[in-house]
Amino acid sequence: MGESRSQAAAPELLHYRPWRGAFRPPAASVWPIARVALMSLFQKRMFWIIYVLGLLIFLLFFFGQYLLSWAQTQAGETEVQMGGWGRMNPRHLIQLFRGLLKLDGGAQTYYNFFSYQGYMVMIVLALAGSILIGNDLRFGSLPFYLSKPLARWHYLLGKGLAVAVFINLMTTLPALLLYVQWGLLESWDYFYERFDLLVGILGYGIVLTVTLTLLLLATASWLRRTVPLVMMWTTLFFFCRLLASALVDGLQFSPLWKLIDLWNDVSLIGGLCLNVQWSERRLGYQPPWGDAALVLGGVSLLCLIYLVRRIRAVEIVK
Amino acid sequence: MPDLLGSPDSGRGDREVGVRGAGRGVKESLTASLPLPSATPALLAPHPLPHAPLLLCQRVSKWYGPVIGVNQVTLELRSGITGLVGANGAGKSTLLRLITGCLRPDLGHIQVHGHDAWSTAARRHVGYCPETDAFYEEMSGRQFVESMARLCGYPRREARKRTEAALERVGMAGRAERCLRGYSKGMRQRIKLAQALLHDPELLVLDEPLSGIDPVGRCEFLHLFRDLAARGKCLLISSHELEELEKLTDHIAIMAHGRIAAVGTVAQIRDRLDHHPLRIRIDVKRGPQHTQGPEQRRLAAALLKLRDVVGVELLDPPPDESVGPVVVRARNPQRFFQELTRLVLEEWYEIARLETLDDSTEAVLGYLLRGRSA
Repeated sequence: MGESRSQAAAPELLHYRPWRGAFRPPAASVWPIARVALMSLFQKRMFWIIYVLGLLIFLLFFFGQYLLSWAQTQAGETEVQMGGWGRMNPRHLIQLFRGLLKLDGGAQTYYNFFSYQGYMVMIVLALAGSILIGNDLRFGSLPFYLSKPLARWHYLLGKGLAVAVFINLMTTLPALLLYVQWGLLESWDYFYERFDLLVGILGYGIVLTVTLTLLLLATASWLRRTVPLVMMWTTLFFFCRLLASALVDGLQFSPLWKLIDLWNDVSLIGGLCLNVQWSERRLGYQPPWGDAALVLGGVSLLCLIYLVRRIRAVEIVK
Repeated sequence: MPDLLGSPDSGRGDREVGVRGAGRGVKESLTASLPLPSATPALLAPHPLPHAPLLLCQRVSKWYGPVIGVNQVTLELRSGITGLVGANGAGKSTLLRLITGCLRPDLGHIQVHGHDAWSTAARRHVGYCPETDAFYEEMSGRQFVESMARLCGYPRREARKRTEAALERVGMAGRAERCLRGYSKGMRQRIKLAQALLHDPELLVLDEPLSGIDPVGRCEFLHLFRDLAARGKCLLISSHELEELEKLTDHIAIMAHGRIAAVGTVAQIRDRLDHHPLRIRIDVKRGPQHTQGPEQRRLAAALLKLRDVVGVELLDPPPDESVGPVVVRARNPQRFFQELTRLVLEEWYEIARLETLDDSTEAVLGYLLRGRSA
């Protein structure tokens, strides 16, 4: 400390070199902002616990696919006795399992994976919102960013990128790994024949990313603290879901009431991206996907408008 | 009294500051419109235009809903250290945020180095040390400063170099590996200052930089600020530590109710406070041919004849002195001191001590703010 102080007391010994290089454009600040946000998140133990739980779902799909493929290669043509249900070809049995568990590398596999992972993403986002952006507004860290040569949009993009990276680490990236795994297990032709699934996975990922990122940034900058944020998130994705289900499935209201369930809207659009074949019954209780897209677009737009206003008005915080 | 106001003081930051005046509606007598003291050319910052101010605020106003935060402020800075003082809620932090581009003025405009303060180009010339010290507590000081360096637009390698240089400069190089959570208030201030110095800005805006710093640290900071000013940097320092601020600079801008109530050197502002005559204590020595009582009274009588003197007070002598001091209240200090000099020489008074009692920044601020709130 003494050494440091003596150095500080003799600043004439320390010279800044004039910077002769080219400054990176303000847009290059987006990643450093996201990196700082992600570092804050990664340093939380709770994040890793939930991430590992999320990873378990991925491992279930990954090894489920692998196990069934392996079992299929091991199964012979000889029929086996299935208890009192008669004899059955093991290959057909495995095929049946695949169909039931939706571990057949089809659209439904990825759709299910996104749905299950989505729950974990919801929980983490609800807990992480205050860390990612809420604390900046709550404790007044924003001037550190805004006094640097970047615009408010870069700050928002940086924070949004952090959320997007996290969402895709939990959903899109593992889904792509499953896609690659299935292609390697089955046949290279899978990559060509089911290229639409790759596009669908990316599409679902984009819908999920855009919607949840904007929603999280808006709610976190509004509520800032973790507990209110969790309550808001629960209301949006749990109580609204219950209410929509009660209205449509129970009280036989119009399927349009399902639009208040944002998660259902995301699933609908995601299913459309993956081209999931819905059952007739399920279709009867769902709003048109166009309406769901409108609702999601509207919510995203509202969030965006709020964020612009929020960041402009950040000075009023103090 | 240009000889008094413009006299260089080795203990203070050299300055080239122009202040155009105050907001509309401010009493003119409190508004200093000052001739610029000349500065050594070597100390001037390398501006694109030789006479362009580094910071130019023109009739800047900012509202927070129905509340006005900053009201028609006009300010012009070129180099040196300027103190920004005022009561809580006077609008200091808002003005600083406007200057640093964190806020956008509702009216008027602010230019830094010829660029709109709101633009990213302007922010390359500004270093801001905000009052709040809300960091990411899990990060180390080094990580935080380096992250800020990346935001300045430096590539990773250059950002690291600059981080080390800035940390050394604020005396934190050896302690920057620790988590910010464990930092004292003083260490946090140093880290904040380091991130403001990263890009070697020409304009440094510091909001309460001395708050929470220990006495040794204060000396280091004051030395650093003086050094920066000597290198041609322009420092705008908002502080409630008036005593420390006086050690740095005698040039201040006083804010009250969102307006610049007065600007200039402390002495210049003090001179304009007509409603609060300057109090000067004069200790006169007893002459060999006079008795002690009449000496004090004779001086008092002579002082009362001067046109700027509005009152004289005779104090009891201190225990070890035989003649009591005289406290005189004078309106126009510059003229008063000239006449006092003439009087002393003509009448052969032997003055032991001459001290102005209420020309400190604190006293001036007190007069101004009390006057405005009254």
